[in-house]
Amino acid sequence: MRKFIIGLGILLVVTAAIVILFVGAPNPPVVSLERAKQMLNKAEKAGALRYSSEMYRSAEDLIKIGWMEMARQNGRLAPFRNYKTADSLLTLAYQKGEDAAERAEQTIQNLQATVQGERNQLYDELLEWRESLNGTLAKNDGEAYWNRAELAYKTSEKLMNTGEYEEARSKIILGKESLRRLGKIVAEYSNDEAQKLHIWGRWVEETLEHSRATGSYALIVDKGKHKTYLVLGGRLKMTFNCDLGYNPSTQKLFAGDGATPEGKYYVTAVKNNGASKYYRALLINYPNATDRQRFAESKARGIISKRSRIGGLIEIHGEGGRDRDWTEGCVALSNRDMDRLMQFVSIGTPVTIVRRANNWP
Amino acid sequence: MLKRVSLVLVALTLLVIAGCSKAPEVEMQAAQAGLDAAKTAEAQDYAPDAYRTASDTLNAAMAAKQEQDSKFALFRSYGKSKEMFVRAKALADNAATQAAQEKERVKQEVTNLITQAQAAIDSAAAALKKAPKGKGNKAEIELINNDLVDVQASFTEAQNDFNAGKYKVAQAKVEAVMQKANSIINEIAMAAAKKAGK
Repeated sequence: MRKFIIGLGILLVVTAAIVILFVGAPNPPVVSLERAKQMLNKAEKAGALRYSSEMYRSAEDLIKIGWMEMARQNGRLAPFRNYKTADSLLTLAYQKGEDAAERAEQTIQNLQATVQGERNQLYDELLEWRESLNGTLAKNDGEAYWNRAELAYKTSEKLMNTGEYEEARSKIILGKESLRRLGKIVAEYSNDEAQKLHIWGRWVEETLEHSRATGSYALIVDKGKHKTYLVLGGRLKMTFNCDLGYNPSTQKLFAGDGATPEGKYYVTAVKNNGASKYYRALLINYPNATDRQRFAESKARGIISKRSRIGGLIEIHGEGGRDRDWTEGCVALSNRDMDRLMQFVSIGTPVTIVRRANNWP
Repeated sequence: MLKRVSLVLVALTLLVIAGCSKAPEVEMQAAQAGLDAAKTAEAQDYAPDAYRTASDTLNAAMAAKQEQDSKFALFRSYGKSKEMFVRAKALADNAATQAAQEKERVKQEVTNLITQAQAAIDSAAAALKKAPKGKGNKAEIELINNDLVDVQASFTEAQNDFNAGKYKVAQAKVEAVMQKANSIINEIAMAAAKKAGK
């Protein structure tokens, strides 16, 4: 009887021990752990490692700490297990991960919007400058800057497509800087033009007055408009389109600068087909006294090389009508227009070349 | 009686010793070093999935070890965590290898692009050299020469990015360079045609 009671006692103690050890223990926060890990994964995919790395690292650390705490509790006897801290840590890790993902997504969205906005602005500026350049004699000087800005714009597109927003942005800044320099060149050109406008106006007036007084023909070339005007008795008789030197925006200073001279000249020779390389031609008296003086001063002031030559052989010739400025400094008309012009012009006919004739014709 | 008590004590001591199995410190350090090496190999960028698997396995192994650490010495068993640390190390090594392979693949891809871009720039420079110059296309040739200088500068910038390991950035820049170099070749052909046609 005594043995039975002792045996029963032992059985009860063992059963109680089993119940205490394995039954009634709280569940570990495995679900919280998995959710936190999944959120961290999502944050990583959203770019958190790059754009919200502090939050990401914080979430990562919290997962580790929470996981270890859960493991620590797992190791304890069931009645003593308490997963509240582990669960709180893992819940916090989930929130941090969520914040990291949201921050990364938001940052990327903002960057995309900002960079795209700046790209659109650069694109608009490129278009505007293209139009402005096409209508100005300073085209050649500014073209290199425009092309540099365009290359920067195109590179920024490639960088944006690969998610390299900061790099794309630095290219856009570079493009804008190129356009700013282009603007400076055009502004300098405009200032120079504004200063000389009254001189060109006077030359045109004098030429018209001479034609009026003598009842003779005269030629006026407006470089800005790419037009050559035939005047008789002070009145416009014919208008021709013309091409200029490949560097049309400046006064001619020396041989090889590609500029068409600006000044008051006259025809010194008439060359018919066979005598000219460019169909038919009217040679003018470049360089005149003013050109020689300017050339000497420029040399003395070091503006041009001491070895520069003043050049010559400036003509109004044929083979023009190419819709671009390509000559070394001559004025080129189409062969048909040369034929028409040659009927009225002879040696001694005044030829006035201005960059802009302002309000005439 | 004394003999019996002694026997029980010896048995208990043996049990305690057996229960106090050694923590897998060496394996844990090896796995952690493996993961650090994978990180250094930029596995997070070039083999993110493999890196994450290795990192999770290492964390799980540490949790398994922590669980055993928390237990009464008599009941500790580190067999499972040891095995997990070994697996984590293997996975970390794999992530590092995968990252190195992927990085090499990207590097090779960009290297090929750089070679192509260099060829395009060389072609453009050669075409420019051969282009008939003179009255009629001097301005265009000068402008194209300026463009080529810009392209060369962009190319050098891309090469610097490449050398700094910024392959994606280098790739984007080289692609733009190639596009521009090819357009320059076309421009030269057009300028030459204009010159020929006057």
